[in-house]
Amino acid sequence: MAATTVPAQHIIASRDPGFGAQLQSEWTKLRSVRSTWIVTGLAVGLSIGFSAAVALAMGLTFDSWGAVEQATFDPITNSLTGLLFSLILLIVVGVTAVTSEYSSGMISTTFMISPQRARVFAAKAILVGVIGLLIHAIAVPGMFLVSQLIYGSYGIPTVSITDTDATRFVVVVALVVPLSYTLISFSIAFLLRGTASAITASIGFMWLPFMLAPLLPAWIQQNVLRFLPDMANDSLSGLTPPGSLTYLSQTPAIMVVAIWLVGSLALAGFVLNRRDV
Amino acid sequence: MIELRGLTKRYGTTTAVDNLSFTVGAGHITGFLGPNGAGKTTTMRLILGLDNPTGGSVTVNGESYRDKRAPMHEVGALIDPSAVHGGRSAYYHLLWQAQAGGIHKSRVDDVLDMVGLADVAGKKVGGFSLGMRQRLGIGSAMLGDPPVLLFDEPVNGLDPEGIQWIRSMMKRFAEEGRTVFVSSHLMSEMEQTADHVLVVGRGQLIADLPMSEFTQRSALTHVRVVSPDAARLTPHLEAMGGVVKNGTRGELSVTGLDAGAIGAAAFERGIRLSELSSQRASLEAAFMELTHDSVEYRANETSKAGSSTAEETVRELTAEGAS
Ligand SMILES: Nc1ncnc2c1ncn2[C@@H]1O[C@H](COP(=O)(O)OP(=O)(O)O)[C@@H](O)[C@H]1O
Ligand SMILES: [Mg+2]
Repeated sequence: MAATTVPAQHIIASRDPGFGAQLQSEWTKLRSVRSTWIVTGLAVGLSIGFSAAVALAMGLTFDSWGAVEQATFDPITNSLTGLLFSLILLIVVGVTAVTSEYSSGMISTTFMISPQRARVFAAKAILVGVIGLLIHAIAVPGMFLVSQLIYGSYGIPTVSITDTDATRFVVVVALVVPLSYTLISFSIAFLLRGTASAITASIGFMWLPFMLAPLLPAWIQQNVLRFLPDMANDSLSGLTPPGSLTYLSQTPAIMVVAIWLVGSLALAGFVLNRRDV
Repeated sequence: MIELRGLTKRYGTTTAVDNLSFTVGAGHITGFLGPNGAGKTTTMRLILGLDNPTGGSVTVNGESYRDKRAPMHEVGALIDPSAVHGGRSAYYHLLWQAQAGGIHKSRVDDVLDMVGLADVAGKKVGGFSLGMRQRLGIGSAMLGDPPVLLFDEPVNGLDPEGIQWIRSMMKRFAEEGRTVFVSSHLMSEMEQTADHVLVVGRGQLIADLPMSEFTQRSALTHVRVVSPDAARLTPHLEAMGGVVKNGTRGELSVTGLDAGAIGAAAFERGIRLSELSSQRASLEAAFMELTHDSVEYRANETSKAGSSTAEETVRELTAEGAS
């Protein structure tokens, strides 16, 4: 084999390839493994499919519902039952983008090549956030519209996406919720470094409050749960009605979501920068 | 150039690297020897800014590694060849690295050619043998065409063919004028490749010397004598200027006399010999001598349980069968 040593100056674009190169590199990592595409596809497909199936089940049984049930049917919130899948898969996206590198040990190569850890962290966060946004930007309007279509064909009350409440709900769940889910679980993943632990912790942190809220004492709901990111999301989207114990008005809700996002990223970035890889 | 000054790393109560100071100069192969657990990997991780030192400092080309932007053109390293994502192809595994380092993607193909993986460039790394991963790892290290290369136990677990390949690559890199810093837990491994040897045990530097000096010492010979009448032979050999160490069952180890003189002495006195052979001193013996002072130092300073001595270090380094 001939020794083909290319002199360094011919192959090095520049001494500091910059943040763009970092983004490009992280994007190559994501797109070159099948799991990225599978998880993204599953998140969109399962959530829309599940919403459609639930809408169909409602359509088929609607006539047999009680009068009160029929009258209080909310075509906005009921249309997004598929969130069950997309939210968990958003967590999977945020967590595995990080933990797959730790579990394989590849993270050492990453930081050997890019000793400026903050850059790697920022590039990864941006890409993970964008993927999360894309998933929900397709899945949420998809779930909503497919459900309305099915409701309509069974004579169930429908709502237009241009209706103020519907627009607010769809926009918040499509654009704000995915950022909190992917980026908070991304931060948790950098803190915990293990796939199973980070997914469990993220689901616990993002979901448990919502599930447990009705079981907990009022003062906890009002003084603790209300300030958790997903509860603030629910106030923003209109899922939590004003007057409810966990309700926050818009400006404080936006601030709570923003503080959790920035705070968790800052903490994870800080810890990453200080500790051993 | 890699410079360590008082470098120390503790994990809880374990001192993995203990006040290490040395310099790896340009343009030759430096062997970094130590038994398992001596702190070789930790030292390399500290050099590469992956772990933070508890004390002391280390610089690469005069600068802390963490302060560098994209140092692929300065340093290439292979720490753990298995640290790859099994679902990614060899090509993409090198591409993301090239991109992060600001290296043109045409270099990825060149490197795949160089390490002989061009044919499997599109195959997933998960299906690669250890030898192929090792080649891929060497390819990563060579992407930036760096003048300094760090390899951590590169022949570990490889088949003879793989070992041969790694050795030839290291020689080639050194011939190209690169600095190669390579660790091993086997002293014999270094004998053929390294120009300079650093020996560590329990995180401490035991020896730092050119290979030529090391081989000179290991050229010392002794003579093995086995006799049913060893006790009677010993004083005669000592009177002739030999240094005699007594073993069990009539075994003697004699230095300072050659086999012919010993045979003649035994014949003259009618002492029967059942074995008489010249032995090239083991690497172990060479290092025992080298590290004699540190053995005594350690015996006095660190006699607590579990603390290895330089002697133990040397024994493990030369115990080829052990791994
Ligand atoms: N991350 C870690 N946490 C705790 N102990 C560690 C860690 N890494 C290494 N060690 C310990 O430090 C010592 C040196 O390990 P290492 O550098 O891997 O040695 P070598 O590479 O020479 O075999 C060992 O006792 C090892 O158990
Ligand atoms: Mg090691």
